[in-house]
Amino acid sequence: MTSWRRLSVLVAVGALLVTACGGAASPSPTAAPPATAAPATVEPPAPPTADICTNPPKAPAGTTLTFASYGGAYQEAQRKGWLEPYAALTGVTFQESEDSSNATIKAQVEAGQVTWDIVDVGNDFGLDANAALLEPLDYSKIHQDEILDGFAGTYRVADITYGVVLAYNTDKMGGQVPEGWADFFDTTKFPGKRGMWDYSAGGIFEFALLADGVAPGDLYPLDLARATKKLDTIKEDLVFWSSGAESQDLIGKGEVTMTMIWNGRGYSAKHIDNNPVEIQWNQQIVTADYFVVPKGTPNKDLAMDFIAWATCKENNAAPSKYIPYGPTNKLATADPAKVADLSVSNADANSAYFDDAWIVDNAQLLEDAYQEWKTK
Amino acid sequence: MTRGSGRRPRGGPIVDRWALLAIPLIAFLVAFFLVPLIVVSLRSVADFPKPTGDIFSNYGRFFASAANLRVLANTFWVAALSTVVCLALGYPYAYLMNIVRPRVAGLLLIAVLLPFWSSLLVRTYAWQVILRDTGIINTFLLDWGLITEPIPLIRTTLGVMLGMSQVLLPFMVLPIYAVMRRIDPEYTKAAANLGAPPFAAFRRVFLPLSLPGVLAGSLLVFVLALGFYITPALLGSPKDTMISQFIANAVQQRLDWGIGATMAVILMGLTLVVLFVASRFIRLRDVFGSLEES
Repeated sequence: MTSWRRLSVLVAVGALLVTACGGAASPSPTAAPPATAAPATVEPPAPPTADICTNPPKAPAGTTLTFASYGGAYQEAQRKGWLEPYAALTGVTFQESEDSSNATIKAQVEAGQVTWDIVDVGNDFGLDANAALLEPLDYSKIHQDEILDGFAGTYRVADITYGVVLAYNTDKMGGQVPEGWADFFDTTKFPGKRGMWDYSAGGIFEFALLADGVAPGDLYPLDLARATKKLDTIKEDLVFWSSGAESQDLIGKGEVTMTMIWNGRGYSAKHIDNNPVEIQWNQQIVTADYFVVPKGTPNKDLAMDFIAWATCKENNAAPSKYIPYGPTNKLATADPAKVADLSVSNADANSAYFDDAWIVDNAQLLEDAYQEWKTK
Repeated sequence: MTRGSGRRPRGGPIVDRWALLAIPLIAFLVAFFLVPLIVVSLRSVADFPKPTGDIFSNYGRFFASAANLRVLANTFWVAALSTVVCLALGYPYAYLMNIVRPRVAGLLLIAVLLPFWSSLLVRTYAWQVILRDTGIINTFLLDWGLITEPIPLIRTTLGVMLGMSQVLLPFMVLPIYAVMRRIDPEYTKAAANLGAPPFAAFRRVFLPLSLPGVLAGSLLVFVLALGFYITPALLGSPKDTMISQFIANAVQQRLDWGIGATMAVILMGLTLVVLFVASRFIRLRDVFGSLEES
C-alpha cells in the first residue's frame, strides 16, 4: 500500500508543479511581407469575376469551420468584420480558437488530427519552409492580382496589414517629440526606459540598424554585429515584453517612455485606455498577418471560399471599423474614421518591410545572436 | 491475486483489490508522461531542421552556443538561490507552526498554501504591479518624497526571488513541518534539564533532528525551481533567463522541436544527476513521503 500512496503523492506533487510552472505567453499579431509592398491605394488591375465576393457559395447544412487567431480585440474585429457576415451569407457556423500558434498547427498536422481550418498567423510563418504543414491556397478563387504586391504567396495570403512602430508617452518627453529610432536610442535627450518585443525576429535588430543610419531598403541581410553593438548602448534601459497587452500597459503607464509596439496596441493605449501615448510613424515596419490552411483539413475547399471572400475588395477592410489594422486588398476601402491610424496610410519612403524569407531561412542565426547578446 | 485471499506468495507485497483503483492512474502516467518522455527523447536524436547524418547534431548545436551554456548554468544558480531563500523563510515558519496551538498551525498552513488558489500568471502580474518603477511601492515612496528615483525592484534577481519563493515556499515548509512534528518535545526538555540554554538545546538537539525535513524540502524546491520560466521572464532581467524559456522559444516560435527536445533532455538529465547525488545523502522517499504526513 505504501508504494501506491507514494505514487499518489507524486502525482499531487506533479499537479502542483503544473500549477507552478503553467501558463505561456503567446505572441500576438506578428507579421510581415517580403521586401516590396505598396500603399493601400493603387490603380485597379483587370477586374476578376466578383461573384464569390458578393455571393459566396452556400455551405452544406451543419458545416462548421474553425477559425484560429490571436484573440482579444483583434479577433473581435475579425469576428464582427468577417465571421459574422460570412456566417449569415453562407450558413457556416464558426468555431473559434483564440490562441493561434504555429506550434499547434505543426502538432495537428503531424498527428493527422487537423481541427483548425483557417489560421491567422504572423509574418514569420507560411513560407516555403512550412510547405509540409500547409495547403497551397486556391488562387482560382482568391483575387491575387488585387492583393498588395508580395503579400500573397503559395501557402499564405495577407488578411490585414499593420505597422511595428515607435510609441512614446507624451508625459515623459519633456515637450520634445522623438523623430525616429535614433531618438529611441538617445537616452540623454530622452531619458527613461525603452520597451522591445522579446523576440529575435520581431524587429529589434531592424530598429537598431535603422537607428544606426542604415537605409530601410538596405536592412537585409541584417548586419547582426552592428545591430547588437548599437543595442549595447541602451541595454540597461531595455524592458522586454512578450505580449501585446504588456506593451500597451508599459507605455500607457509610463513604465517605459518609448516602446516598439504593434500600431493597434498603440492605438488602444491612447483611445481605449486614454493614456498619453502617441505613435511616431516615421521608420515604421509595415507588415501583415496571413491566412493559412493547415494541411489535411477536411474543410479545405470551404476554407478557401472563406479566404477568397475575406480578401475581396468588398470585404477585406471590414475589421478596420473596429481596430486600426488595414486591408491587404489594394481596392478595398478602409473605414474613414480609421484611415489616419493605419500603417499603410502612413507608409512612406522611410518605412521598412521585413524580408520574411531571409528571416525564416536565418531563424537560428537570429536567435543565437539575440540570445548571445541578451543574456550576456 | 486470482486465487483469493490468504494465498499470496510468501514475503510478497500485500496487494488487495483496492490497489486496482490505481490502475487508471498508472495508465494515465504511462500514456501522458512516460510515452511523451520517450517521444521527446527520440526527437532529440531524430528531428533536425537540416539532416546531417549525425544523430547527436542537436546536442552539438546546443553545446556550440555560449548563450545556451550560460543560461543552463544560470538555471541552476537561480534554482539554488530560490532554495536558500525558501529555506531561510520556510524553516522559521515551520518552526512557528510546530510550537503554536493546532488551530493556529492550521491557519498558518492555509496562509502558506494560499498562493495556490490563484494562477501563477495572475500572481506574477500582481508582483509586477507591486514592484515596477510605476508600481505601488515606488509610487508610494516617490509621492512621499522618500526617494527621487524609482528603486529597481522589478527586472532584478530580487524580483525573481520574491515571485519564485512565494510559489515554492509550501514545498519547503510542508516537509520540514512534517519532520518537526515527529520530533518528541521531551528531547529538548531533556536537554534543558541537563542544563542546555534554549539556543544550545535547539542547535544541538532540535536542529539535527529536523535536518531530514530540511534536506527533503530543499531538494523538492530545487528540482521544481529548475523548471521555472514565466516568473524569471516577467520579474527578472535578461540575466535571470532560465533554460525553460529557451525550450518554449524553440518549440513555439521557431518550430525547432529537435533542439527543444534536446534542451529538455539535457535539463532532465542534469536533474536526474542532482537527484542521484542527493540520494547518496537523503532517502528520496522521505522527500515525497513527508508531504503525505502533513
